[in-house]
Amino acid sequence: MKNYKVNNLKEIKKITIFPGLNKLGQKEKFEKIEINKGEVVAIVGLTGAGKSQLLYDIEKLAQKDTKSKRKVLVNDKIPNRELRFNPEKKLIASLSQGMNFLTDISVKDFLKLHIQARGKKFKIQIIKEIINEANEISGEPISPEMNLLNLSGGQSRALMVADIANISISPIILIDEIENAGIYKEKAIEALIKEGKIVLIVTHDPSLALNATKRLIIKNGGVDKVLETTLKEKGIASYLSWIEDYNLDIREKIRKGERINEVYLFCEPIKSKRES
Amino acid sequence: MKLIIFAGTPGSGKTSIIKYVIDELRNKFKICFVKFDCLKTADDEYISKKYKVKSIKKLAQDLCPDHFTALEIPKIIKENQDKDIIILETAGLCLRCSPYVKEGLGINVIDVAAGSPERYGPILTQADIVAVSKGDLISQAEREIFRANILKVNSKAKVIEVNGLTGEGALDIAECIKSSSELGNKKLTLKQPMPSAVCGYCYGNKILDEESSRKRFLAGKEIKNLIPNLNCGKCGFKSCNEFIRAVLDKRAKKEQCPFIKK
Repeated sequence: MKNYKVNNLKEIKKITIFPGLNKLGQKEKFEKIEINKGEVVAIVGLTGAGKSQLLYDIEKLAQKDTKSKRKVLVNDKIPNRELRFNPEKKLIASLSQGMNFLTDISVKDFLKLHIQARGKKFKIQIIKEIINEANEISGEPISPEMNLLNLSGGQSRALMVADIANISISPIILIDEIENAGIYKEKAIEALIKEGKIVLIVTHDPSLALNATKRLIIKNGGVDKVLETTLKEKGIASYLSWIEDYNLDIREKIRKGERINEVYLFCEPIKSKRES
Repeated sequence: MKLIIFAGTPGSGKTSIIKYVIDELRNKFKICFVKFDCLKTADDEYISKKYKVKSIKKLAQDLCPDHFTALEIPKIIKENQDKDIIILETAGLCLRCSPYVKEGLGINVIDVAAGSPERYGPILTQADIVAVSKGDLISQAEREIFRANILKVNSKAKVIEVNGLTGEGALDIAECIKSSSELGNKKLTLKQPMPSAVCGYCYGNKILDEESSRKRFLAGKEIKNLIPNLNCGKCGFKSCNEFIRAVLDKRAKKEQCPFIKK
């Protein structure tokens, strides 16, 4: 098989993972895992099970040269060295619970800086779009003049999602445990896949895990199981998301000083954009 | 033999990432790890025990740690001719020094929260590789901005994100080390002369060799005996030491000092 030249990260349409060895030296229990553009894959497992190694293998497009001996193909072909080791071509952009903004700057100027750092042309329209998207995800409006350091946890997370979806060029987004971030998670994931990214979520959150197209169960340093999400699980996921979003709505009302007089006990099924 | 120098401020994560890099390389290469520090360290023992590689401890104590490093490098190389790679970790106190060697590979480990890269001197601007640590604490956007800012002050650097907890980036650094050049038999040179202190290197010596350093020191001392050490600035330099260096480098003439003994 010839080495495959991908110069533009946008050309990455699919990655395929071939099994390596787990910590006990046994071959992993799958033939191959295919992940396509726009797909959401949940990675679950106990702490220390080996999730980071799997992510590292994907990031480095391992060719049986990492500890796990896994092999990863891009668009069904062996990636060339350039794509593997050129730090300019960073495959994975990441977002995790522990990340914070540290720069003392307004939201508007910050986005401008990031756009310029990426070598793109700055247009005020892009900034408006990103902030609108962030506001849909957080439910707690952000304005362009606000200081980055004054944003709430939910606002920060929402802005990070909208920013990654629109400005970062990495084709794969890794989301690491954002369960308690106070954002509409469903909307956040939709914003990312809308831009044609591959989304990997490390999570134990039921609605996120069951909303993924498939989930990889990691045990003893290897992939122990690959579960395609069933239709039933998707239904359960959408019910769970509804409860969470409803919870978040009440939370926002409390924050605004409103009285909470009633509880809706029945939910309307949420129409997922992915299914339609 | 390859000489790999890791420099970076204390707490930036040098030792943590070095551990992973050594782990990547130790099966294929004979490695010697040298830890420089000021007063005390136990990292050398930890690394030799855990990764079964030779390690050396060098404590600068009352000397400037980076000058001390420059003085020790030739000795270390002489004593470890059987090794393939020498990985040297500096004490990392000064942004102005950073004894990177032209013939080797210089790696600056920099904490992503440490502030604007523009504030950093040769430790960053002269590095071949800039390893950005602790990126998991800040947003993707800020990481990307930080990277762009590093490239502004050091456009030739390879910027690699590293994580001392998970070992992210170690494979990339190991790849760079594998493809870096061998030292050969020539005398090594510093990428950047050091600020003045009390040895031949204080007078701008760049050749890592005891004899050259001593000669330079004596030549500097000779001029020093002729001038009044007033740091008056009338010669056009901030201090007498800078003036002496300039004279030795033939960038200035002794007569520029109005007080020089004839």
